[in-house]
Amino acid sequence: MKIIFKIALGIIAAVGGFLDIGDLVFNTQAGALYRYDLLWAVALGTLGIAVYAEMAGRVAAVSQRPVFDVIRMRLGFGPGLVALIASTLVNVLTVAAELGGLAIVLQLLFDAPFSLFVVLAAIGLVVAVALLPFGGIERIFGYGGLLMLVFVVTAVHQHPDWGAVANGFIPSLSDSKLYLYFVVGVFAAALMPYEVHFYSSGAIEEGWTEKSLKENRLNAIIGYSLGGILAAALVVVSGYLFHPLGVEPNDLGTVALPVQGAFGETGLLLALGGMLFCVGGAAIDSSFSAAYNLAQFLGWEWGRYRGPKKAPRFTVSWLVFLFLAVLIVLTGINPVEITEYSVVFAVVALPMTYLPILLIAGDRSFMGEHVNGRVSTGLGWIYFAVIVVLAVAAIPLLLMTNGGGG
Amino acid sequence: MNREDPIFIAHRLLDEQILDCDGRRCGRVDDIELQGSPPRVSALLVGVGLYPRRLPRWLRGLARRLSGPERWGASALRIPWEEVDRIEAAVHLRGKAEEHGLGEGDDPERWMVRRLPWN
Repeated sequence: MKIIFKIALGIIAAVGGFLDIGDLVFNTQAGALYRYDLLWAVALGTLGIAVYAEMAGRVAAVSQRPVFDVIRMRLGFGPGLVALIASTLVNVLTVAAELGGLAIVLQLLFDAPFSLFVVLAAIGLVVAVALLPFGGIERIFGYGGLLMLVFVVTAVHQHPDWGAVANGFIPSLSDSKLYLYFVVGVFAAALMPYEVHFYSSGAIEEGWTEKSLKENRLNAIIGYSLGGILAAALVVVSGYLFHPLGVEPNDLGTVALPVQGAFGETGLLLALGGMLFCVGGAAIDSSFSAAYNLAQFLGWEWGRYRGPKKAPRFTVSWLVFLFLAVLIVLTGINPVEITEYSVVFAVVALPMTYLPILLIAGDRSFMGEHVNGRVSTGLGWIYFAVIVVLAVAAIPLLLMTNGGGG
Repeated sequence: MNREDPIFIAHRLLDEQILDCDGRRCGRVDDIELQGSPPRVSALLVGVGLYPRRLPRWLRGLARRLSGPERWGASALRIPWEEVDRIEAAVHLRGKAEEHGLGEGDDPERWMVRRLPWN
């Protein structure tokens, strides 16, 4: 019974901290443009985040160090500062993208101006953080995010050509720059660094110790598998419906259309509800990450568990980052565009935050018997190579394809 | 780890988190003071004023303008090595943060968050 409960928690942590606006935007577009061809990039990205999160969670549980603590320790002040500035820019952009996404979904449900919903969404998040303890925040958004299962049900209901779906999991490259741009986008959307920063800081918030390592592994294996299935379902339903029609979905409303096609109004409401919880949870995670990173790098007191009075600078930075994100969305830039930039820049910043974790997880003087084994070391370095290649390719591809516009 | 044990200071001490005796996070080891021959750690140096010297030369001028000068006792603090209790996942001090002037940056912001409902 206890183990089932723990698995449930892992699923929630993974769904709540995995699927976000980046996946909704990139995976739906990838399906529309290339049908099932990019499913392998979803799988690659999902395995990547499972490897990275498992290591970061293990490091946090064993050495009591969250990600930016490790970054400052291993990179030192100067290079660490570069990682901090890059991550903060990406995080604030991501918060802006998630808030914009929340506002769009709310607009599909209720009739009111976009900017009003942006402000309401931000206030709603502050209220959620004010009322709920840390675990409660994770649980509410995680359970709510499970509504996204309706996309999996839709995928099955559509009776796609399963052979073609399976074929999509075989990696294939082409010399089309747009295709390569989407390889980077779909991979990076699965492996957003804020997810791991939040996960590892959350492990400290919840007082993880070596005893929590089993839970950590379950989160990585079961939780992220489920997250990956949901992310793949987004590609499949979009590929089935939009690809033959040649539709290019450029707004978030289109994401839920396949579900509406299959299950009518009820389906649409479930899909929009799931999107609301996923994106809302991601807005909290990414804004918290921005504040966690800053506080950890500079050695300030931090954490939701400390409360604002004991961690004033942390709390104020969180509110400031949220406010900046609101300003960015209110400039009127299309949230889908903000999302694309946040995802592409995230992959550029990723190696700097990934490498220190890989180094500490493999350092016996910090990790003792829980040091990386052969599998983790191998997978860890393979992924480091993949991430570096994608980080180098990301910006040129963004420019050459005009942000995926072709 | 005991205070007297030899350690790799760049590996385990520089940039490490500092906690006071109540477990309050109150800064990082921004620099280390060495004395004697062979050199021994004589103090931990902490504070915003020390950030510029951690950066490459060409950035120091700009950094000084942002963080202000090294003012000892204010933006740069010296924590004598005797005040260090032990080194575990962080550097633990014997006394409270306030006794060393640490963590005071948290105070100016406190008025803003005092009334927040989730205290």
